[in-house]
Amino acid sequence: MSSLTDRYVTATLRTVPAPRRAEIASELRASIADMIDGRTGAGQDADTAEREVLTELGNPDQLAARYADRRLQLIGPRYYLVWWRLLRTLLTFIPAIVGVATGVVKATVDGEPGAAIGAGVVGAMQTAVQIAFWLTLVFAVLERTNTPLNLPEWSVDQLPEAPNERQVPLGDTCASIVFLLFAIAFFPWQHFQPWISGDGSRLPMIDPALWSFWLPVLLAVLVADICLEVAKYRSGRWTWPLVAVRTVLDLAFAVPLTWLLLTDRLLNPELVQRFEWLREGGTQDLARATVLLTAVIVVLSFIDSAVKARRHAA
Amino acid sequence: MVSDEVLRTHLQELRRGTVVVASLVALRRPDYGYALLQRLGEHGFPVDANTLYPLLRRLEEQGLLTSEWNTEESRPRKFYRTSADGEVVLDRLLDDLTAVQTSVAGLIEGVDR
Repeated sequence: MSSLTDRYVTATLRTVPAPRRAEIASELRASIADMIDGRTGAGQDADTAEREVLTELGNPDQLAARYADRRLQLIGPRYYLVWWRLLRTLLTFIPAIVGVATGVVKATVDGEPGAAIGAGVVGAMQTAVQIAFWLTLVFAVLERTNTPLNLPEWSVDQLPEAPNERQVPLGDTCASIVFLLFAIAFFPWQHFQPWISGDGSRLPMIDPALWSFWLPVLLAVLVADICLEVAKYRSGRWTWPLVAVRTVLDLAFAVPLTWLLLTDRLLNPELVQRFEWLREGGTQDLARATVLLTAVIVVLSFIDSAVKARRHAA
Repeated sequence: MVSDEVLRTHLQELRRGTVVVASLVALRRPDYGYALLQRLGEHGFPVDANTLYPLLRRLEEQGLLTSEWNTEESRPRKFYRTSADGEVVLDRLLDDLTAVQTSVAGLIEGVDR
């Protein structure tokens, strides 16, 4: 018996269940010998014939898998969709929670706020990798043991609401409103809980004189923004009137803000006096940077809403 | 122009089940793996050896084939034969194959007309 055939049969049998091994071995040996005879009978030399026959039979692991009826896939179509949905669901919130918790612990318990973000990111990534690994392992085992999951059959009732109709998800609306509420809260907060300077005196960041007119105007714009978010959610999509209102509101906030900044009226003059870099022209640098940023935000916001409104109209 | 790859995949899909039918028919006369491979090839069923040998074992496990070792010749060989259950399954498969042919023929006629 030639060594190549021996090696091939051994390699094939390695992963075939033991009770059937001996019989498969004898049969496979006989079949290989028959195939070699077939070729040598046609005038080929024995060594070449053996090589060609074994090449034709292919990778022994693959042949063994066919004998054992074993699946050559980690997770097959039966479990794939469940695995994928579960993986996505778990990865959407668990790494974020762990990351935030790790960061907070680092900043508070360990007293290292500087290292908090790094620790949080590393924690989140490690968690994501662990989730992906263990979940995949469980499903790979299920695939091999052929365990029925007994999940409810898919039904038409599970169909999500037509996604094209609702361009404005509830999550986005909530996020926007929370952000706006924070922005509104910032104004009284900076006035009543002001930054305390070295000598203990309390200094609001924004010039308190503005409370007579401009700050209430800005606050009114922010409240109107909340109303706009609600209206947008109720209509479910961007419409041209909403785009117009959004643009007017953006401008109603941005123009007074930048104008006050450029004319040195926004910041509390006493605060400016405290800081050397603000005193010596820093306010103008700050103003120019803010104007640029505000302009970019207004333009992007307009383009975003206009594109969405147009997509729906089309 | 359809790529060879696409064509090959479709032909493979079409041929897949016919190997079982051909084997069950051919093994009404008992035979061993390599000889069956040759016979099927001669009758227009080219099968890869690494497909046929495991298939024979699977059909045997399903009870559609019976087997017997022949040790009379110089090389011991395992001879397979279509079992009674195999005949029952084969009848159903052949009926279905005929039904498919009839349906396709009818469809072609209906479209051409």
